[in-house]
Amino acid sequence: MSQKVVEIAGRRLSLSNLEKDLYPSHGFTKAHVLEYYRRIAPCILPHLKDRALTLKRYPEGVEKDFFFEKRCPPHPAWVETAEISRDDGERMTVCLVNNLETLMWVENLASLELHVPLARAGSPETPDSMVFDLDPGEQADILDCARVALILRDLLSRLGLACYVKTSGQKGLHVYVPLNCADISFEDTKTFTKTMAVVLQKNYPDLVTEKMAKEHRKGKVFINWSQNDSSKTMVCVYSLRARETPMVSFPLEWRELERLAGEGDPERLQVSHGEALGRAEKEGDLFHEVLVKKQRLPHL
Amino acid sequence: MGATIWKGSIHFGDTDVPVKLHAAVKEERIQFHLLHRRDQVKLHQQMICAYEKIPVPTEAQVKGFEVEEGKYIIVDAAELEQTTPESSRMIDVHEFVRTGQIDPLFLERVYYLEPDVYSVGYNELAAALREMDVEGICTWTMRKRSYLGALQARGRILRLTTLRHADEVIAVKSLGLEDIPLSEKELKIGSDLIAQLTGPFQPQKFENEHQKKLQALIEKKARGEKIAVLRPTRLKPTTADELLQALEASLKKVA
Amino acid sequence: MAVQGIWSGTISFSLVAIPVQLVKAVNPGRVSFRLLHDKDYSPLARRMFCPKQEEMVPPEEIVRGYELAPDRYLPITDEELESVSPERSRTIEIVEFIDLNEVDPVYYDHPYYLVPLKGGEKPYRLLVEIMRRTSRAGLAKFVLAEREYLVAVKSTEGALALTTLHYHDEILPDEEISPKEGKVEALETGRMKKSITTMMADFNPGKYADERREKVMAILKKKAKKGAVEAPAGENVEGEGPPDLIAALEDIMRDVKKNR
Repeated sequence: MSQKVVEIAGRRLSLSNLEKDLYPSHGFTKAHVLEYYRRIAPCILPHLKDRALTLKRYPEGVEKDFFFEKRCPPHPAWVETAEISRDDGERMTVCLVNNLETLMWVENLASLELHVPLARAGSPETPDSMVFDLDPGEQADILDCARVALILRDLLSRLGLACYVKTSGQKGLHVYVPLNCADISFEDTKTFTKTMAVVLQKNYPDLVTEKMAKEHRKGKVFINWSQNDSSKTMVCVYSLRARETPMVSFPLEWRELERLAGEGDPERLQVSHGEALGRAEKEGDLFHEVLVKKQRLPHL
Repeated sequence: MGATIWKGSIHFGDTDVPVKLHAAVKEERIQFHLLHRRDQVKLHQQMICAYEKIPVPTEAQVKGFEVEEGKYIIVDAAELEQTTPESSRMIDVHEFVRTGQIDPLFLERVYYLEPDVYSVGYNELAAALREMDVEGICTWTMRKRSYLGALQARGRILRLTTLRHADEVIAVKSLGLEDIPLSEKELKIGSDLIAQLTGPFQPQKFENEHQKKLQALIEKKARGEKIAVLRPTRLKPTTADELLQALEASLKKVA
Repeated sequence: MAVQGIWSGTISFSLVAIPVQLVKAVNPGRVSFRLLHDKDYSPLARRMFCPKQEEMVPPEEIVRGYELAPDRYLPITDEELESVSPERSRTIEIVEFIDLNEVDPVYYDHPYYLVPLKGGEKPYRLLVEIMRRTSRAGLAKFVLAEREYLVAVKSTEGALALTTLHYHDEILPDEEISPKEGKVEALETGRMKKSITTMMADFNPGKYADERREKVMAILKKKAKKGAVEAPAGENVEGEGPPDLIAALEDIMRDVKKNR
């Protein structure tokens, strides 16, 4: 098995099993995964910073078993960590991916997908953004999600709120509303998103549901408002997804989404690792505003 | 001597040696309970529904395997029962390895083996393992669980040590330790220091003093005496620059 | 932010002190189940329940107690527990070095690794290297939670491995187990040796998978095809939302629909 010791920012890290085919049908190896994350690092790191990482590890590749890891696995002393309280009151140490070397370390553990909460570890109960997780049920697809996303954008913009959209890298879309204010709670964002979902469901009963249960979701887009919770995580923007081919959760411009929705080809709404790198290196971080834009939920 | 835990028969080739398992270790420690600070009532554990925040009795609990956050595959007792290994009384030896090949990280728990009443071949097996300096890698099923273990001879006694599975052991590699250059002088003095501080392993020298002190503290507090609270102290770390100096001073101290 | 393992403190030998943290060396097998509520598949959390007040007790109201007599407990605080051996609760002091081959493995209890904390990298590396060169392991005592452990610290593949050891009086004597008569049939031993010789191999733990775990995983895989159940959202949000928010959104909605 190949092993390689690299030095990043003066820290030595041993990378192993580099030739392991993590996306076998695509010939995409661990070396490719590491290379993708190394190049996307300038864009993804600000979105991972100070957030409790949930690893989703695929040691044997995307076709084999995976496991979630919230607790920080044994790590070099230079990996930054935070102590958080779990639901059951117990303390837990989590990793913070705050620099390139930690990102490389995490990818060496084959955590293809990187999931993070909507709040930073230092203020776990204060969401810095609000999310509408659009998940198509059976017989619905990403084009239906795009329709819902565009309606959402119109609604939000009339409330004076800017929002940003990214592909989930699977079948859905994620619409983010930046907040970045200290006085907001998950209770506020959950109530707000749920109410929006209820109103959308009433107005578009054939397109939208806000109910979790499978039987309500057939042919519709489920607006998963419950993601606005301190215990939940979202796949990080620019993260790879563990599907047959290495797709990425990638930001789209609204104009682009309008156009793609009009063209009617769901495949065009998927962004591959190669396209992601090309665009990110040319256009920079399209999701930057999510981190910095300060917005308040309207007091209605 | 502890009670017999299980009975079985060591098997390989045309050898069968019936044995009884006994615990090799007995731990006794001071037990604490969890109390409600207010009224000092002993607390019970209770499973609470995260959604409704109410206690859920055992009969309303099911087991789920989390495939994705918040998504579970439910398995019932009958399905899990299928995975219970068939009961057997056989300690199957699959192969023999040289003593010392098994990294101590794999060792889990030691059992002493006693020859069962009509056992023949126990002494011979112990002699063969001892003289060849080997141990047997074996599997067996005990209390509805399958075990991997090492069959060893220690003097005239046979032992069975349960082993961890390969994927349960965390590799040193994953710690990501740095390789830092050291000077020959540091290494030489360090090694000399170790030589000066080396003695025979005498486990009887080490008593669980803490347990006794803890018992004394409990008695003192039970009598109503006040307990002085002492803060733990941290040693000042030796920096890389001070290392050689600290080693030299250490050597001077012990020499 | 401070790095936290199971425990963090200092390991010392003679006048050298190295800041370290204790981390796991073994992980129990991976198939772990979550307990769920059967009616809605909500995850269950373990909480402490006071039978007298019939209420859940938050962590800050819980204290350890020693049972003096049936139903009569003496509360002991964490500070008091730490006061028992304050010098050992933050320091693993190596009191002497030994040849680990002299230690009967029956003494081994639980394995951990030590990893250096910031600033301790070089002395850590030194201790690893000199113990490797001299084939020696350090003996120390230290206190974790309310227990004191005798531990052996050794060098392994460039790291410090720490194994807790059982105390001498915890090891049960094996004399009584000893076979009654020491008679050994040389012929029989020779026959066994032949058999053993044909079965010699190198130790390869990877060969022996945990069959139970594999069976459980096979069942899970089969069931996964039929789909998983989903737990409800983190907590119960009642109703549809604040009426005034709904009214305002409905207003805007009409406007949005008109203009699409």
